[in-house]
Amino acid sequence: MIEFQNVMKRYQDGYEALRDVSFSMERGEMAFLTGHSGAGKSTLLKLIMLMERTTQGHIIVGDQNLSKIHQRQIPYFRRHVGVVFQNHRLLYDRSIFNNVALPLEISGVNPREIGRRVRAALDKVGLLSKEKLSPIQLSGGEQQRVGIARAVVNKPPLLLADEPTGNLDPDLSEEIMTLFSQFNQVGVTVLIASHDLNLISHMAHRVIEINDGRMVHHA
Amino acid sequence: MRKQTDTTKKVSTTGAKTNDKPNALSSYFSHHQKTYKATFKQLLEQPLASFFTCAVIGIAFVLPALLAILLSNIQSVQHNWDGSAQITLFLKKGVPALDGNILSETIAKKPSITSSHFVDNNTALEEFKKRFELQDAVDYLDENPLPHIILVQPDKSLKSIDHIEQIKNSLLKFPEVEGALLDVMWVQRLNSITQLLQRAAWVIALMLGAAVILILGNTIRLFIENRKEEIIVVKLVGGTNAFVRRPFLYMGVFFGFGGSAIAWILINLTLYMLNGPIQDLAISYQSTFNLSGFSFESTLLLIVLGMSLGWFGAWLSVRKHLDDIEPT
Repeated sequence: MIEFQNVMKRYQDGYEALRDVSFSMERGEMAFLTGHSGAGKSTLLKLIMLMERTTQGHIIVGDQNLSKIHQRQIPYFRRHVGVVFQNHRLLYDRSIFNNVALPLEISGVNPREIGRRVRAALDKVGLLSKEKLSPIQLSGGEQQRVGIARAVVNKPPLLLADEPTGNLDPDLSEEIMTLFSQFNQVGVTVLIASHDLNLISHMAHRVIEINDGRMVHHA
Repeated sequence: MRKQTDTTKKVSTTGAKTNDKPNALSSYFSHHQKTYKATFKQLLEQPLASFFTCAVIGIAFVLPALLAILLSNIQSVQHNWDGSAQITLFLKKGVPALDGNILSETIAKKPSITSSHFVDNNTALEEFKKRFELQDAVDYLDENPLPHIILVQPDKSLKSIDHIEQIKNSLLKFPEVEGALLDVMWVQRLNSITQLLQRAAWVIALMLGAAVILILGNTIRLFIENRKEEIIVVKLVGGTNAFVRRPFLYMGVFFGFGGSAIAWILINLTLYMLNGPIQDLAISYQSTFNLSGFSFESTLLLIVLGMSLGWFGAWLSVRKHLDDIEPT
């Protein structure tokens, strides 16, 4: 599903966020991406999202070589990748329903179908009763669940999360991680960047560690 | 496992346009509808600010529009001049009356001339005396100071002053003719004034059009700044640039429409206020002249123009500011 081949990313100011990263993830796999802050976790996710381009090497997602995707095709690519952010990135000027509906509206799904799929996604994260509220009326954990609902409403085959539990207490964090596991169980490939090693060790999933822009191989 | 194969299919279409939606067109239109409604609502949420923007645009439209109306009125005057242009030919001193008569007959036979009438200088002097009651003064003169004249009437179907001017020039070529007078100077002057005003109207319209575009561009830039976070999120979940631009383009069109509406009201108010004095002026010239107002076509043109300018201003702004906003 994801394959990194000797990926190097150097930013314009000369900073090398990733020096030489190679790994692959199977379809339907779930993995954690760890490393100290500044190790290159966010850069790695941004490369998969095409928010950044590789300097050297290749990334293959699905059947697509990302270096061959034209700038104008990026939006269509992103519709197949769900992303969850640490700060949720919800829009506070609209209801929960409309936040989750956004990716479907963008993809041009017809309005009746939108209603059905948004409610299905909200139901999965346990917020069906709150669809009419504003994100501001929700707790941090609930807001993150809205972010997850928005990421999966398009039924993307790949789900990325950048420190999704960064602002949450341990109980809520575990709840969120369980939610990700549930999506993984129905076939979604999930990659979560997190430095919460304690939490990760509870979950029986593969751990990909990077340090100073390189893969760390455990014996 | 079924889910898995479904997944495979989806990813392999990645990068291509989503054509797996059966009624993509209807949802496209439904999104347009939703966008313009939401945009309109957003403008109504700040009624005063939106009104001011529209008012600025409206006022900018008024001046060129009024000039255009003035011009169309002047042009209607030009089209309605009665075509009674008469050319007066003054013959050289010493040309005998008989020769003058023959010349007059020659001229009468020329094409595009209706009639030609010879007036010898004695007759002219008699008329002059009668008309101006200058019997005594004229009697003091040793000789008749007036030349023989020929009054030439060009074909009435000739409306173009240029054409009549050409006839005048051709008549000037006869050796007996000293000079010629075409009594349509006022029409010519009006023509020049009209041309001047036309030029001025264009210059003013261009400048104010540019001003409208700049004002709108700046207003929309502020809206873009305010919605930066939304734009980033939309781009992150797969919104195309066209999708992101859409509400701002609608906004420009709405502002343009509002501006046109305000301009329409202001123009009609101005015409209403000017019509009285213009009638008085016309009466003082023993003429009837009605300031023709703003036709349905002009109204339509104003609105279409306003909306187009609005769209264009928004498009420029969006192009400059919006495509630069990329998620980081």
